[in-house]
Amino acid sequence: MHLTAVFVPPLAFQTRGPIGSSPSIETLIAPVRRYSQFLYIDRGYAFFAPDPGPSHLIQAAMDDGENSSVADAPMTERMIPDLKDQWPRLSYHRHFMLAEFLNEIYHPQGPPSSLVEQNLEEASRWQQSRARYVAVRNSIIKHLEHENPGKRVRIRRLEHRLPSFVEMINHPIELDDPQLYRILADPAFASGENTEDVAPLPNPNLLPKERNSIQLFEDDRSEESLQ
Amino acid sequence: MIQVLSAAVKKGTTDWLRDSVAAWDRFWFSPRYPQVLGILRIATGLMLLYCHCVLASELFRFLGDHAWINNATAVQLHDGSFGVADAGWSYLWYIESPTVLVAHHVVTILITAAFAAGMVTRLTAPAAWFLQLMYLHRLTGALFGLDQIVTYLTMYLMLTPAGSCYSVDAWLRRTFADKCSSRRKLAWLFPEATPSVAANVGTRLFQIHLCVIYLFGGLSKARGELWWDGTATWFAVANYEYQSLDMTWIGEYPRIFSSLTHVTLFWEISYAALIWPRLTRPIVLLIALAVHGGIAICMGMVTFGTMMIIANLVFIEPHWLLASPSDE
Repeated sequence: MHLTAVFVPPLAFQTRGPIGSSPSIETLIAPVRRYSQFLYIDRGYAFFAPDPGPSHLIQAAMDDGENSSVADAPMTERMIPDLKDQWPRLSYHRHFMLAEFLNEIYHPQGPPSSLVEQNLEEASRWQQSRARYVAVRNSIIKHLEHENPGKRVRIRRLEHRLPSFVEMINHPIELDDPQLYRILADPAFASGENTEDVAPLPNPNLLPKERNSIQLFEDDRSEESLQ
Repeated sequence: MIQVLSAAVKKGTTDWLRDSVAAWDRFWFSPRYPQVLGILRIATGLMLLYCHCVLASELFRFLGDHAWINNATAVQLHDGSFGVADAGWSYLWYIESPTVLVAHHVVTILITAAFAAGMVTRLTAPAAWFLQLMYLHRLTGALFGLDQIVTYLTMYLMLTPAGSCYSVDAWLRRTFADKCSSRRKLAWLFPEATPSVAANVGTRLFQIHLCVIYLFGGLSKARGELWWDGTATWFAVANYEYQSLDMTWIGEYPRIFSSLTHVTLFWEISYAALIWPRLTRPIVLLIALAVHGGIAICMGMVTFGTMMIIANLVFIEPHWLLASPSDE
């Protein structure tokens, strides 16, 4: 049983596709799923795979909350992760993983009304994914507010592109050159602002029973009430 | 003629089955010396201790109600609020008091230190593993490969008499030899460093788990393009956030970095097969040392790279570490 729990989760990870997981692998993993989850052996082991990609960072800006205008307010900025802030390297790496995690779970606002009408289950999954991203993002903002009392916190996600070796040979560039950074979707968010535009809730009783989406719709609506 | 052929097939099948069962028996149930496990225990325990000490320096950034991912969100990431619930449970989700968190962390550090030192290892190993699991399920979002490998090693080591050598337990057993030999509970608590089936089962389980990690690590890479066109190593060294040693000069030598890319991919995929034969094992282990050493030195993951090298020691034969041939 243990060896099955070791072997099948990464297999399930690999056999996951756009229409879901392989039915045969789903059957195999069912008896050991919770066992492997608790033992933390339900991993995919996809280190730097399928391709080494760009890094993802969180940029935070803290300004004096008393100032009404963001433009006039004195602002301090910090990047997460940052070798100057986090030491030793293990601490830096944990913060780096946090920024990558926020990017990994990113899901755009929505779902669009058309999806709600056409596929309620898919719309519910969309809402849950979005709610997860919002919850983690809000938790990060709340943490920064706690560390910077009285300040207004805004964060945004950045992508740090990797230059190819051909680019590097033809036009040498510092790896931290500003032109390699890209601001990602969802505008900078400040606590107390509600930027979500949530599709209206259809009859919640129609949603699949295993998905607790009623609470999510409410959470999305009252996003400003941070947890 | 048919009868002769039938008898030959029957005998061949019977022999094959008997040999297979014997090989299975040898693989799993041959007694094994615990010396390698003792070294793995020290290294794993120290790495786990280091992780907990680093976490101690920023405990409230990662645990409690004001953490990067606060308690409420940590619960929601596992309880099905955002999809399907999982079994990754931790009591640390419910601890709000800073005093309790600090006290809990001090206890964790003490138990982990005892595990590393081999002090009452029969009890401190499972305790260290369980506490580590509780932290893992609380630190969702801030984990990486190091956390996986150090946890797996601790899990398998707790199944073995890993505290029977290079340990405080071994010293206690020598000191109280008479009592240990006459009392069963003490004999179990402070085991002798003699060959045991438990040492072999724990070793085999971790060896297989390591093979699974490499196999799927390799297969995951094989689904990409950059591991095939040879540029993956370049993109790994060109990642500023991972960089701890500037290796971008390698960009001027495409044949070198593409060779490194291909060797890494094929080594990782073939590891599960080539690590077992005595002929290929040293080569596989040398490449492991080079790959993980490179990750440790150049890519800012000294802890992960070191831990993977340590993990590969599980394929070292324990008799190499015995003091003299008479020990066998």
